[in-house]
Parts: sequence; structure tokens; C-alpha cells
Amino acid sequence: MTPVHFSFSSAFILGLMGLAFHRTHLLSALLCLEGIILSLFIALALWALQFESTSFSTAPILLLAFSACEASAGLALLVATARTHGTDRLQNLNLLQC
Amino acid sequence: MNMTALIMSSSLILVLATLMFPLLTTLSPKPQEPEWAGTHVKTAVSTAFFISLLPLMIFLDQGMESITTNWHWMNTQVFDANISFKFDHYSLIFTPIALYVTWSILEFALWYMHSDPNMNRFFKYLLLFLVAMIMLVTANNMFQLFIGWEGVGIMSFLLIGWWHGRADANTAALQAVIYNRVGDIGLILAMAWFAMNLNSWEIQQIFFLSKDFDMTVPLIGLILAATGKSAQFGLHPWLPSAMEGPTPVSALLHSSTMVVAGIFLLIRLHPLMENNQLALTICLCLGALTTLFTATCALTQNDIKKIVAFSTSSQLGLMMVTIGLNQPQLAFLHICTHAFFKAMLFLCSGSIIHSLNDEQDIRKMGGLNKLMPATSAYLTIGSLALTGTPFLAGFFSKDAIIEALNTSYLNAWALTLTLIATSFTAVYSFRVVYFVTMGSPRFLPLSPINENNPLVINPIKRLAWGSIVAGLIITSNFLPSSTPIMTMPTTLKMAALIVTIIGLLVAMELAAMTNKQIKITPMASSHHFSNMLGYFPALVHRLSPKANLTLGQSVATKLDQTWFQATGPKGLTLTQMMMAKMVSDIQRGMIKTYLTIFLLTVALAVLLVLI
Repeated sequence: MTPVHFSFSSAFILGLMGLAFHRTHLLSALLCLEGIILSLFIALALWALQFESTSFSTAPILLLAFSACEASAGLALLVATARTHGTDRLQNLNLLQC
Repeated sequence: MNMTALIMSSSLILVLATLMFPLLTTLSPKPQEPEWAGTHVKTAVSTAFFISLLPLMIFLDQGMESITTNWHWMNTQVFDANISFKFDHYSLIFTPIALYVTWSILEFALWYMHSDPNMNRFFKYLLLFLVAMIMLVTANNMFQLFIGWEGVGIMSFLLIGWWHGRADANTAALQAVIYNRVGDIGLILAMAWFAMNLNSWEIQQIFFLSKDFDMTVPLIGLILAATGKSAQFGLHPWLPSAMEGPTPVSALLHSSTMVVAGIFLLIRLHPLMENNQLALTICLCLGALTTLFTATCALTQNDIKKIVAFSTSSQLGLMMVTIGLNQPQLAFLHICTHAFFKAMLFLCSGSIIHSLNDEQDIRKMGGLNKLMPATSAYLTIGSLALTGTPFLAGFFSKDAIIEALNTSYLNAWALTLTLIATSFTAVYSFRVVYFVTMGSPRFLPLSPINENNPLVINPIKRLAWGSIVAGLIITSNFLPSSTPIMTMPTTLKMAALIVTIIGLLVAMELAAMTNKQIKITPMASSHHFSNMLGYFPALVHRLSPKANLTLGQSVATKLDQTWFQATGPKGLTLTQMMMAKMVSDIQRGMIKTYLTIFLLTVALAVLLVLI
């Protein structure tokens, strides 16, 4: 694999692992999510360049728009968590009621 | 009906009715007047005594004995129990003696328990005890005997624990009940055997039917019952502990009447034992061991009541030896004479104790010869009678027993022990007399010494007359059923007297050494053995239960809880629960866990695809 290929793949995987293994704060998970989106953006941009398909060039912008919505949704969730639980620390989040 | 028989039976029933009447009047809701104890109970007992002299005279004149069967109590198809009274020579002689002694003790108790607010109840208990004892003595069947037996046991418990605020008294009462219960097992064994094999509890039927049976099992049961009730070795510690009760209780129960119940049982059922060599040997050796052991323990006691209690125990051992010699009548004679002087010794002790303001330690008495001359005179008479001084009451029974011992074909060890115990009797009796009456006073100057109350002196005087003449009277009127051996070497004939005099001389020598220090480091081990009662209570009451409980604890924790539980079910549970915890930890609902699993799954899938 090419070095560029490797770099955004590893960025993606690292971000995914950071999302999965975040320790204390929910905010760090959201940051990792942003990192994932960033690596995907780079991947899409390189895809359009690599395969020289101009009709695909809009894909990164589309991704950016959607990522903005998603990031704002994530931040809204963070604020809601902070409102109900008082903090965004993960030990307060429990899906099951026990 | 024959006039004499009518007089005898009716007067004996009247004796029982006279004794029961004060008890029945206590069932009414009206409370007794404060003088009820003196007016009703004591006069009932003295009246009963005089009534009981009538059948005694009939017996002495005509040799008549009677059996009165009153009431069919329970009848099943194959077994019946009646109320039936046997007035044979044993009960006819014992009843007046018991009533005489009880009369004196009750009169004494009027003075001794004067300041007790529950004096009426005390007298009621004593009367109830007396009724139970008379029932035991006159019983013609085992059921009635058992009723009397249990009755005296329960009254002993209630009376020993009279001052129930004192922990020692409660302990002593409990000891009495438990040791008596162990003996009762033997009695119930014998009764069950009789019911099963001979189908009867009537004593006459038992004698008749027992010729074809091997009687070892019920005889062992009866000997166990006597061991418990009469404080033979093995079940003896309750008797010295029973001195926690008031002195009238000690005088009545634990010297003259209750403790002889066991011996009386063996005397009553003696025809069963005549031919059983094993039972006779057990009685002999047990009695010899008891008499020596308790005499040894009496040598170093310092409480006057305990010395007299051990003396009682020693004399009971002597009675057991006599039964082992196949001489029940000598044992009965000793019961009768012993009642007089032992009760008198206890009453003298009670008088001394009250006069010295409740001081019971003989090391703190002294010089009472001049201060309480009457009491110390009676104390000396009682001690002389106890040691078997010729022609006082004790001589007739004790000397006859020692003569029978010396001239029988028996165990030499038992003989030796009994002779040594006889000399010890002289030693501790002299010790009591020396410490109490001789020397100079060792008590506080302002002691309320007063023996002028007729309630004190008259009972002791009556018992003193009994201690002097009773032996002579009973022996002259009481035909032995087996001829005593009349010819023996002079040494054997004088053996009892010789060992007693040797004991007396040794005791006088030891008493002369009490105010000198001969040895700087005395040999203490034998003194400790005697003073600690042979270490028997320390071992049996403390060490054994502690060992048992420790064993129980170690079995429960090491065996039950560890090996059975922890290696079995509990261990399995622990392992399973550990694993279950690990698994359920993951499924708590934490998002992080889910994301981690998600990532792991993705990595696994990628690896599977690529490899």
C-alpha cells in the first residue's frame, strides 16, 4: 500500500480505537469521531484524485457538510448529558438501569 | 378385722394424714398467719411422731408388720400400679426416727430462720420433703418409690437454692439435680427391666419371680441410683456443695434422710442382691473407695459444714460397704444411729455459725468451750458418737460393721481402706473439736454469742439423748436375721477401737504442731490434693466441659465448615461466582464496553478476511 493509503488508514484505525477506548470524558470520544471524519475526508479527496473521476470530486464537500451536522448533534448530546448528569464523565453513563 | 392390725394400719395412715394436712391448708387462698410455721408445721410433725410410736410399740411387742394396699391407680390389661404401703421393720423403725429428727430440726429452724421473710414457705418445703421421704420409705412398689425418690430430689433442689440470689447456691442446687438425675437413669433402668421381664412393680412379686433370672442388669441400675442419691464416689461432688443451703436443710436432707434414700433402696431390694457376687463386689469396693476418699477430703477442709458433709459422705460409703458384705440390717442400723448424731452435729454447727455472726471458717473460731459450753458439749458428744466411742450410738453400728468386715471372706483392699477411713474419722472429728472449742478465740470480740434460747438447746438436747441411747435401744429390740460371728482374735475385735485411738493420737500430735513452724517449706502436694477434693470437681466440672466444648468448636469450624463446606459446595460456588462475575461485568451497559467489543469484532473480521 502506498504511504498515503497507509497514513489515512492508520489515522482511521487510530481514531476508531480512540473512540472505543476513551477513558474519562465523552468529549474525547467526540474528538476521535472528528478525527475519523477527517481521515475519511482525506480518503475521499485522494480517491477522486487517484481514480481521476471528476464527478466524484464533490464527495468530500458533502462529507464535510454532513460531518458538521453530525458534530453538532454530538455536541448537543454532550450538552444534554452535562445538563442531566452534571458532567460528561463516562462512569455516569449507564444504559441499563441497575 | 384383727384389732391390732386395725390399730397399726390406721395409725400409720393417720401419720401420713397429719403430715399432709398443713400442706393442704396452704392451697386455700387465705394467707397463713406469720406464726403458721411454729404452730402448725412443727406441732404436726411432733404429733405425727407420737402417733408413729404406736405402731412401733406394736411391732416391738408382737413383731407385726403390715402391708396396706389402698387404691388401684392405673390398670392396663397386663400391668397394674397400686398405692400400697409396706410397714415392715425397716419403715416402722425409720419413720419414728425420721419424725423425731425432723421435729428437732424444725424447732431449731424456728430460731435459725427467724429473720427470713419467707419462713412459712421454708417450712412448707421441709414438710413436703418429709412427706416424700416417708412415701419413699413405706413404698411397696417401685412406682411409689420413684414418686418419693423424685420428690426428695426436687425438694433438695428447692431447698439448697433457698438463697437463690447467691450464685454459688444456684450452682450447688443445679449440681445436686444433675448428679441425682444421672443416678435416676439407673433407677429407671431397673424399673424398666422389672416391667419388661417380671411384669410387675410390686416388691413382693419381684422377690418371688426373680429366682430364675439373671439380675445383673437391674442391680447395676440400682447401684447407679444409689451412687447418685447417696453420693458415692463418681457422683459425689454435689453433697459438699449442698452446704450452700441453710443449716436446717443440711441437717435434714443431707445428713439423715435424703442421702440415705439410695442406701435404703438397696436395703429394701437386698434379696435380689444376695446371690449376685458381681453386685456385692461393686458395692463393697465402691463403698470402700468412697469412704476413704471423702474422709481424706475432710481432713483439710476449713468450713465446718463441709467437714460434716464429707463425714456424712464417708459414713454413706461405710453403709455401702455393709451392703456389699450382705448385711443389710447392719446398714439399716447405721442409718438410724447416724441420723441422730449427724443431725446433732449440724445443729451444733448452725448454733455456732449464728452465734459468731455467720462465720463458718473453723480457723476463725476457737475457745467456744468457755463461751458456749452447752453447744460445745453436744458437739463433743456428737463427735464421740461419730467415731464409735464404746456404748454411744455409733458404736453399736460401726463396731458391728467393722467386726463383720474383719471376719468375712472379702477383698483385703476394701478392708484396708475402710479401716484407714475409720482412723481418719477420728482425725477430722478431733480437728473440728480442737479448732472450734479449744484454744483461744480467733473471732471478733463483739460476736452475738447466745445459746440461751430454748428453741436452740431443746432440739439439740433431744438429739443428744438419741445419740447416746438409740444404739442400745435399737440393738436390743432388733433381731438380726443372720447370726453375727462371735469369736475372733482379740486384735480383730479391738480393731475399730485401735485404729480410732491411733487416729486420735495422730490428730492430737498434729494439732500441737499448729502453732509451731517445724518445716520452712512444707510438703504441700498432699494438702492440695485433699483440699481441692482430689481435684475431682476441677477436672469434671471445669476441664471436661471445656475440653468437650473446644472439641465441638474445632469439629464445627475445621471439619464441618472447612473440609465439608469449603472444599465441596462452597468452593464450587466461589469459583463459579468468580467466573459469573467476570462475565456479567461486561454486560453492565457501559457504552465503552460495547465499543470495545465492536472494535475487537471488526479487527477479527479483518484478520479473517486477510489471512
